[in-house]
Formats: sequence, structure tokens, C-alpha cells
Amino acid sequence: MINSILRFGVIIIILILFQVLVLNHIQFSGYVNPYVYIMIVLLLPSLTPSWLVLVISFLSGLVIDLFCGSPGMHASATLLAGFSRPYVLRLISPSDGYESGSNLSMAVYGVRWFFIYTLLIVLIHHTALFFLEVFRFADFFRTILRILLSSFFTIGFILLIEYYGKRR
Amino acid sequence: MRNLLNFLLKYNSFIVFLILEGIALYWLTSGNSYHNSRMVKGMQGVTRGMEERLSNVRSYLNLREINSKLASENNALRNSIERFTSQENLKFISVKDTLFRQQYQYTSARVINNSVNKQKNFFTLDKGRAQGIKIDMAVTNGKDVAGVIVGCTDNFSIAISLLNLDFRLSARLKSNGYFGSLSWDGRNYRHAVLNEIPQHINVSIGDTIETTGYSAIFPEGMLIGTVSDLKKSGSDFYKITIELFTDFKKLQYVNIIGNMKRTEQLELENQLQ
Repeated sequence: MINSILRFGVIIIILILFQVLVLNHIQFSGYVNPYVYIMIVLLLPSLTPSWLVLVISFLSGLVIDLFCGSPGMHASATLLAGFSRPYVLRLISPSDGYESGSNLSMAVYGVRWFFIYTLLIVLIHHTALFFLEVFRFADFFRTILRILLSSFFTIGFILLIEYYGKRR
Repeated sequence: MRNLLNFLLKYNSFIVFLILEGIALYWLTSGNSYHNSRMVKGMQGVTRGMEERLSNVRSYLNLREINSKLASENNALRNSIERFTSQENLKFISVKDTLFRQQYQYTSARVINNSVNKQKNFFTLDKGRAQGIKIDMAVTNGKDVAGVIVGCTDNFSIAISLLNLDFRLSARLKSNGYFGSLSWDGRNYRHAVLNEIPQHINVSIGDTIETTGYSAIFPEGMLIGTVSDLKKSGSDFYKITIELFTDFKKLQYVNIIGNMKRTEQLELENQLQ
């Protein structure tokens, strides 16, 4: 128990630092900015009580907000992702259900399951985030394009990290 | 009471969600620039210190380019001093009362936080109220427009970048003096849009765009960019795309310009309304 709390604390700190110190300064063509810190919401163990998921996602969004200088944007988008997580998990549950206490990782449930899981959460998060950022429905399709492009990169990063991070 | 408790227990995560989302959305909607400046104050300790250290490293890597820019600026300044003093010798008059004539004062600052990839970009400078920075001062990169100060604390200030959907600037064509309104469309960090130039005016690609000084923030004639694309839309106005002189991706040292006669001008203008 203590062990896994420590482990996730370290993962959360590493992901946030990676986001604010590296990814926020990499700007592919000025359009695309991957927000990989959403992995925090993805990786929390399946047994985590839902209110704790919400609090953790809110706080991590808040920290990202403080570094980005954007008021409440990341906090509300990440919170929405954390809120929809149980519903997404129920929607895509494997035929024999989830093993209690297991990590929601690629190693346990397979590449295909993890990809769909990531896809849904990232799309929810990015849609909320980019619409909150522009805060208007003018240029609707350009915002959609930005959402899709950024989601593509975010999902790519997350799958790479998950695939190669297994040996940690 | 028991029903209420049961209800709360059953939907506890939904209630937590509503409360937290309420906090976040309230924060989001209650005024952007205000909160940005408040935030600088609150987060000076951790995030700004870290960003300052990072930006120290980054500014070291760009020293060569900055040196050459400074050298060329020095040359230009030395030339103008030369012109000024020799003129004075000719006329045998020296006006000591500079306070009376000086309208703009200049200082410089370092950019410690910056972005170009959002729709509403701001950047943070390492000088604040204690160094004489005030809200509504102009920020330029040499002679090129960069932004306007929107909030300051004792040692930091935040400027709204030209790359912000809310940024408006009165700008004119250098060749013939027709002015319009400059804004950013959120697409490309190298391009902005100039509106309200009527179609009977001759505009050609490569024309220089400069500030007008009507807003009492920027001095007249600060450079903005060159016309890179020109479309006749259905309305009476051109759609002019401008390639900006300032490259916001490598913005490091900026000049801050304060207008000492701004309050006087605004007071006069307000009398008429």
C-alpha cells in the first residue's frame, strides 16, 4: 500500500516535471502541443476511490495551470477526464472484468485495450481543454483540427512511454 | 435527513466533481489578465524561481546573437548622439530642460516565461513595480512591437503578447499613412492580420506596417511587420496578412516604453466624452 502510494507519487511528479520543463517548450509547428501529464489520470490503480481520482486530477491540473499561466483551464479539463474515467472503464471493460488491485497498464490488459482507453480519455481531455482555451465556437473546425493533431501526438507519447517504461 | 445522507453517499464523486469544476470554471471566467497578475504574486516562490533558472541557461546559449544585436544598436545610438551634439554646437543653444520635452522613457527587461502556441499568449518579465514598470506600458523588441504590460507585482510583470486573440493595436501603412486595426487570428505565430483598410487604397506586398501612437501606449512609428499576403474579400476592406518582425519564439530581452504624457492625453480625451 505504502509502496504503491510512493510509486504513484514519484510517477506524478516525474510526469508533471516532464510536461512543464520539456513538453511545454517543444512546439511542433506552433500548432501542436502534447499534454502527456494526462497519463496521471490513466495510470491510477483501478481500486482508487473515485473522489480521490477527482482530487488528484484537479490538483495535477492546477499545478500545470500555475506553470502555464492559464487560469483553471487544465484543472477543469483534467477534472472532467478524471470524472469520466469510471464510465470509460465500464464501457470498455474486458470480458472477464478487471482484476482487483491491478494496475491499468498495457502489460496487464494488452495493447489494444490500452490504446482505446488512452484514446477516449485523451479525446475527452483535449476537447475540453482546447474549447476552454479559445472560449468561443467561431473557428469550430480549426479547433477540432488542433484537438485531433494534439491528441495524436499525446497518444503517441503515452504509448511510447508505457511501452518502454515497463522496465522501471 | 437519512435520505439526504444516502443521496450524498451515493453520488459523492459527482458532488466532488461539481464543486471542483465550479472552482476551476470560476477561476477561468473571472478575468484573465487580472488572474495572471495575481498568479505571479502567488507563485513567485516556486515556479518563477524555477523558470528564471531555466531561462538563465537558455539565455546563455543565445549570447552570440544578442551580442551582435546589442553592438548594432550601440552603433545606431552612437550615430544619433553624434548627430545630436554636432547640431547643438552649430546652434549655440543647449536646452537643459529635458523633462519638459521628453515624452517616452525606456528601460529593458528579460523575458522569463513565454509561449507562442496558445490562443491567448502572455509573457512574464523580470522587472516590476519596484523597477518602475506600470500597467499599460509598451513592450518592444528593439524597434519591433511585442506586447503591452497588463499586470505587475513588485518584481515581476506580465505582458499580453501580440499573439493573443484579445490584443488590438492601431497600425498604419508606412507608405501612405492609412491606418487600421491589427489583431492576431490564432493561426501562425509569425503572422498577424490588419483589418479596416479600404479597398481603394494601393497596398502592395512588402509594404511596412508601423504603429500610429493613437492609443498613447506605443510611440508613433514602432515597426510591426511587412505585408505578406493581400486578399480582396467580399466586403469593402482588404484582408491583409502581415509577417511580423518580432520572432516571439526567441524573444529574450525586451524594451519597455512608458509614456509620461499618457495620463494628460487620456484626461483631455475623456473630457470630450
